[in-house]
Amino acid sequence: MKSTRRRTIVKDILWVIAAIGLVAMIARFIRGLGATTALNDATPWGLWISFDVMAGVALAAGGFTIAAAVYIFHLEKYHSILRPAILTAFLGYVAVIVGLLCDLGLPWHIWSPMIHWQPHSVLFEVAWCVMLYTSVLALEFSPVILESPWLQTPFFQRLARWLKWFTLPLVILGIVLSTLHQSSLGSLFLIMPFRLHPLWYSPILPVLFFISAVALGLMMVTLEGFVSAYLFDHSPRLDLLAGLGRAAVWVLWLYLLARLGDLAWRGVLPAAVEGSWYSFLFWAEIGLGGLLPASLLSLRQVRTSPAGLITAAGLTVAGLVFNRLSVGGLAIFQTSGTSYFPGWVEFAISAGIVAGAGLVFLFLAENFNVFNQTGAHVASRPSPFDRPVFDAETRLYQGQNWWDKVSRRTFFLVPVVAVGIALLPAGGVGGQTGLHTPARAALGWTVMRINGNRNGLGVTFDHVGHQQRLGWAAASAGSTCIDCHHLNKPADEATACWECHQDMNQPASIFNHSLHQVELGGNASCGECHQAEHTAGAAKACAECHETMMPQAGEARFNNLAPGYKDAMHGACLPCHQQEAETQGKPELGRCPACHKFEDDATSPQTHIAQRD
Amino acid sequence: MSHASAVGMLIDVTRCIGCNQCVDACAQANNLGQDTPAPQDSPDGLSARRWNTVLMGPAGRYVRKQCRHCLEPACVSACPVGAMHKTPEGPVIYDSSKCLGCRYCMMACPYGIPRYQWDALAPLVRKCTLCYERLQAGKWPACVDACPAQATIFGTRRELLAEAHHRLETEPRRYLQTVFGENEVGGTSVLYISDVPLDFLARGHLGHEPLPALTEVVMGKIPPVALGVAALMGGLYWIIDRRMRLMGGHPAPVEHEHEIDS
Repeated sequence: MKSTRRRTIVKDILWVIAAIGLVAMIARFIRGLGATTALNDATPWGLWISFDVMAGVALAAGGFTIAAAVYIFHLEKYHSILRPAILTAFLGYVAVIVGLLCDLGLPWHIWSPMIHWQPHSVLFEVAWCVMLYTSVLALEFSPVILESPWLQTPFFQRLARWLKWFTLPLVILGIVLSTLHQSSLGSLFLIMPFRLHPLWYSPILPVLFFISAVALGLMMVTLEGFVSAYLFDHSPRLDLLAGLGRAAVWVLWLYLLARLGDLAWRGVLPAAVEGSWYSFLFWAEIGLGGLLPASLLSLRQVRTSPAGLITAAGLTVAGLVFNRLSVGGLAIFQTSGTSYFPGWVEFAISAGIVAGAGLVFLFLAENFNVFNQTGAHVASRPSPFDRPVFDAETRLYQGQNWWDKVSRRTFFLVPVVAVGIALLPAGGVGGQTGLHTPARAALGWTVMRINGNRNGLGVTFDHVGHQQRLGWAAASAGSTCIDCHHLNKPADEATACWECHQDMNQPASIFNHSLHQVELGGNASCGECHQAEHTAGAAKACAECHETMMPQAGEARFNNLAPGYKDAMHGACLPCHQQEAETQGKPELGRCPACHKFEDDATSPQTHIAQRD
Repeated sequence: MSHASAVGMLIDVTRCIGCNQCVDACAQANNLGQDTPAPQDSPDGLSARRWNTVLMGPAGRYVRKQCRHCLEPACVSACPVGAMHKTPEGPVIYDSSKCLGCRYCMMACPYGIPRYQWDALAPLVRKCTLCYERLQAGKWPACVDACPAQATIFGTRRELLAEAHHRLETEPRRYLQTVFGENEVGGTSVLYISDVPLDFLARGHLGHEPLPALTEVVMGKIPPVALGVAALMGGLYWIIDRRMRLMGGHPAPVEHEHEIDS
């Protein structure tokens, strides 16, 4: 059958997108938000909030609109598109929740709003409404599952009868919840007038969000009607879809009136013609998702032709999703000087979730009476949950296992997953990119200035000298480039200075008393250092003999850039030590042995450093 | 406890010498480590590991930037679970056990203060807490203790406002005649006096109205809207259903649903 073949191709494509999305999702949960997304402190909300959540919820508005038309307004002819509309809405909300789980920093706390109430928060209200409405949609759709021939047990039938009692209250509850949170998604932005451009920020954002969601919901159902007609080989119910178009005309013009009227009322209209990026964005959005489809749908010829309806519906969906993207990100001021463009993982997960929802829709549509057709064709289908039966005569298993249907796709799942992994950013594979240590060349590339803690200061690093001491690049010398430039460290992280110079902050035991004795001539030389009293405390300062060991004026700053290793270490400790030696009246603090001690000394600088940290 | 007796800080920009000791003291008191974010990651120098920073303001003035501990904080109003919390003593603090990581507080803050631990697998929101734990132990915030020039002083908001106005009056030529934070977004617990305008600390122009008031307007309408929509839908159903039954020929819709759904 032609439609079966079409569905197979569509499912294959959806499988590929979903599989790559799954790889991206695994990377996001293993490596964290910072490593896999472009989100940052200046733009904490990105594609997942504006597309997956805000546009996703609006796209699922068809559920409550059609339910209201059928049950409240008794427009019985729309009953045949009610089930796919409810299913689309349900899957839309599940997709929203999955997207949200990816976006939340602590997704395992998603239950938190149920326990910790904060009713002043718009997001608290949205959370509750989404949670309740998803449950309502599941209940509204459950009769379709319960009526399937494979669930004809007394328990499920009793359940189905109970549910029917609650149809009307459920529908009304669904409409109330939808009205509240469709509008509240706009209210989310009321608290940030400083972020949103005035062409989008408006006190009536919630109203605009609600009206546009109704239009979006109607047009999404229209579009979905055409797609499923194409995929399932039944002719689209043009009379119904044209009726949706007629309703959408009113809603779209109302939306445009409210939107433009509000701008005029607040006197912001001049901003729409100032020729800035925001004004172009505004007209693109208003034209695509408002003026153009509203004008098209106002024409009877367009409404009654499939091509016209598809065009208008496509424009509305694209334009109003565009609107959500604008409010969620494009029209938000980037005041802090950092920018945001969604990362690959964000795109892959968003597309993967949509593809996954599409696959579930196709699965349910193929195995349950989603299109509300007369029972025969569905009942004749084998249950997807039936196990193959062993046939004793042929000694073969009869019937198809669900796994057999999947196995064809698992064949190309492996390369797809490989492609997905290959496409991951470095952070998605190796974790958070190592903190980049800026190194700048000084003095013709032989000496580098390394700014390790990025505080603007730094130390000079003699690269050639290190190369020389370690034996150049020759492997035969036993020491090569890899001593410092490891491959087993994430990203560009090189070896820190302290990894070799482990004595950097440790007590040094360089003062060797007996060696000094020998060098200076035995017992006769005591007076060389212990000039007044023969005690350690009254000894000469090291610098009095070893003049070059101390930083001298002009030497401390190498090439006016940064001190070298020795000077840097002296510079880090000495000023404070000398100051304290004076102010505290403890001269020994300012002397060399304060740091350069014998190893067995109890009050080593090691403990001093540890305390500081 | 009223706002006036809540504690805060007064920062005198004309006295700051830019020594960064408050930054170091903050890092030590809160165990933040010695990490300075790269300029491209954080132009203002604030990060999850650096809750306090000294910026180069207009005319070469050093201006501290950290949480303002607003009297009507947008972050507290935005948080869906009450993880952000305004204590009666004044500081706005954060309870990570409630947080679900939605980052609405970061979106809502008019000063762009809360920062996220993007590199963590269980990331938390981080910001200045006015050293709430030290306050409870009877100590001043670490940055106040560390300031060698008394450019940052600590006290109740009432005392600080009085001191600020006293300084503005006694040395009118030294200061702009305004206390930054006295009225902005409903007032903040951290106040500034300065000889240069400090508008660059905020994201865009902020009025005197507390930001949460903008959502309160809408949130207050939720119960009537919910009841109204429910009543409207129920009423419409009843009227249309009755009219259709009176016109005859149509079965009662509830039975009708049975028919369609079964």
